[in-house]
Amino acid sequence: MYFEVGGKQVFATTGGKPFDKNLPTVVFLHGSGLDHTFWGLHARFFAFRKYSVIAPDLPGHTHSEGPPLASIEEMADWLHAVLDALGADNISLVAHSQGCLVALEFTSRYPQRVNSVSFIASGLATPVNDALINAAEKNPDVAIGMMMAWGFGPAGHLHQGPVPGNSMVAGGRQVMRGNVPNELATDLKACNAYSNGETAAAKISCPVQVILAGKDRMAPRKAGLQLVAHLPSPELHIIDESGHMLPVEAPDECRKLLRDFIFSHNPA
Amino acid sequence: MSDFFNFDTLSLHAGQTIDKEFGARATPIYQTTSFVFPDTDTASSIFNLERGGHAYSRITNPTVSVLEQRIAALEGGSAAVCTASGMAATFCAITAILSQGDHIVASSQMYGGNISLMKNTLPRFGITTTFVDPTDIGGFRDAVEENTRLIYGELIGNPGLDILDLEAIAEIAAASRIPFMVDATFNTPYLCRCLDYGANMTIHSVTKWLGGHGTAIGGVVVDGGNFDWGAAGKYPTITEPYAPFQGINLWEEFGPSAFATRIRAEAMRDFGPSMAPMTAFLLLQGIETLSLRMEKHHSNTEQMLEFLSNHDQVSWVNHPSLPSHPSHALARKYLPKGAGSIVSFGVNGGREAGKAFIENVQLASHLANVGDAKTLIIHPASTTHSRIDAEALVAAGISEDMIRLSVGLEDIRDLKADFETGFRAAKRAADA
Repeated sequence: MYFEVGGKQVFATTGGKPFDKNLPTVVFLHGSGLDHTFWGLHARFFAFRKYSVIAPDLPGHTHSEGPPLASIEEMADWLHAVLDALGADNISLVAHSQGCLVALEFTSRYPQRVNSVSFIASGLATPVNDALINAAEKNPDVAIGMMMAWGFGPAGHLHQGPVPGNSMVAGGRQVMRGNVPNELATDLKACNAYSNGETAAAKISCPVQVILAGKDRMAPRKAGLQLVAHLPSPELHIIDESGHMLPVEAPDECRKLLRDFIFSHNPA
Repeated sequence: MSDFFNFDTLSLHAGQTIDKEFGARATPIYQTTSFVFPDTDTASSIFNLERGGHAYSRITNPTVSVLEQRIAALEGGSAAVCTASGMAATFCAITAILSQGDHIVASSQMYGGNISLMKNTLPRFGITTTFVDPTDIGGFRDAVEENTRLIYGELIGNPGLDILDLEAIAEIAAASRIPFMVDATFNTPYLCRCLDYGANMTIHSVTKWLGGHGTAIGGVVVDGGNFDWGAAGKYPTITEPYAPFQGINLWEEFGPSAFATRIRAEAMRDFGPSMAPMTAFLLLQGIETLSLRMEKHHSNTEQMLEFLSNHDQVSWVNHPSLPSHPSHALARKYLPKGAGSIVSFGVNGGREAGKAFIENVQLASHLANVGDAKTLIIHPASTTHSRIDAEALVAAGISEDMIRLSVGLEDIRDLKADFETGFRAAKRAADA
């Protein structure tokens, strides 16, 4: 569905069911350079189980009007405005990578809106190496290649995706190519600059789960465990054989963990 | 792992997950119609496109999916759907996005089945086609009308072997916000990945070089994932709610695999041209050696071209790698590893000499196929293209004396000897 936030058009998938603010809402936050399709194997599942679903494209990503937002803090405030526009409260946040930084910041700023948070493949911060940022600024296609190469684990590289006939790597590449110019560089710089993770994590009091990938080369397990150490009694799960793109590489395991957690902490 | 796997590695491994129960190294043949669901929730979620998984082999099958994902990997496509034949792939791809009143601009130099589909069959369903000489780029631009919804061609035209200027036509298609679909059967992704040059989807008769052994019929549609269906605003089958799946909007939900999902959700379910698991297994065996076979196909083709070009009984030889071919420059650009192993030539003495040649060779098999490991020959005017009229025959670049040769993998010395026998018979027929 399309709606306006701050005079800009925003797109969010609702998983195939109309958004209903009276239902508990699952909000999915995508990572750098990606969009709502990253959650295709999760959003529809919840939408057809009595949840409202919002998986927005961040500004400047695929169907949402630009420009892209320059900081994690701006993204958190933008999400607040999105939820205001839709009248959504009673939400379970599900976030991946950069989305986890937004979820950290958002939950610390607006704790009353959040029932639970699921952090997937992230640490407290996401330092990005200069080579990747430079490539994103000067030759985005090279940067997209690096993101795909580092982002996917063995199954992704061997095109062993869980959806019959689909290549996760090629699909991800095309999603990233569809964004506005400079969007990826802006995302990566926003991640690199974010330093409030430890402070934000300390303010979170709602139920949280952390799902890490054993073969993650973008948010290594060590970084994820630092996030775990700063959150209040999180559920921790590690999916050993997945790379960073865990929600698409290991969707069935991921969906089961999300289902059990959200059904328990934010029942429909 | 610092980068992506290369072509030969993907040819062997892409798409296959080692089965957890027995660890089979070869791809298992899941010869089953259907799959037991672990619970009702999983069953309903597969049917509702909430998750991947297999329900019924008309729609998806694990063995077929390995082939689909392997071809998608080799092509650089976001998704692939295998079908019972190459023609089924073409039909499913077209009907996924075109409806009554829509129009196609297509190359005039294509496989007879493609031409017949567009010229004779699709008009019955209200879909019309304007055919354009593949070398006439301006002709493609001029043929685009308000209701044009697809530009279609073969990279290596069959059997005239003119090369489509992919980038030029992709530019015309992009300017009109129309997808550009390429039948890439003759080149395979080993010789050219058409998606890299702006094509939006490719079609293959997997029967041919990809399978390569003449043992199984199959086709595939590869979705490049690089066409903006939303911005085009004229493809309701992709961007409007689809009633059979509770009003799903495929473009919004599946983005770069929306086109392939439409084929899966509609064509495979409602038309049902599914590939058999055993067929997928046979075709996978072929793809494992695609690079090796293509290299030998081309070394043999080069030597056969030299042999034919210098033979007294041959009136003309046609192949894009020859400097005399009108598409030679395009072949060098798009097909630097080789311009395919199809050669056409004329036998001195006309139709009777050609007939004598075909009937007197032994190794070269007279049959209606190409891309086999074995060398094949045929007379297109009386066989593969016999159902199209004289005007279309000329447009397709076919003459009465043309023999189409699909160069195989035999020892080239034996092939030359075999052809000498055929040419002696041709000379006798011509002299009689």
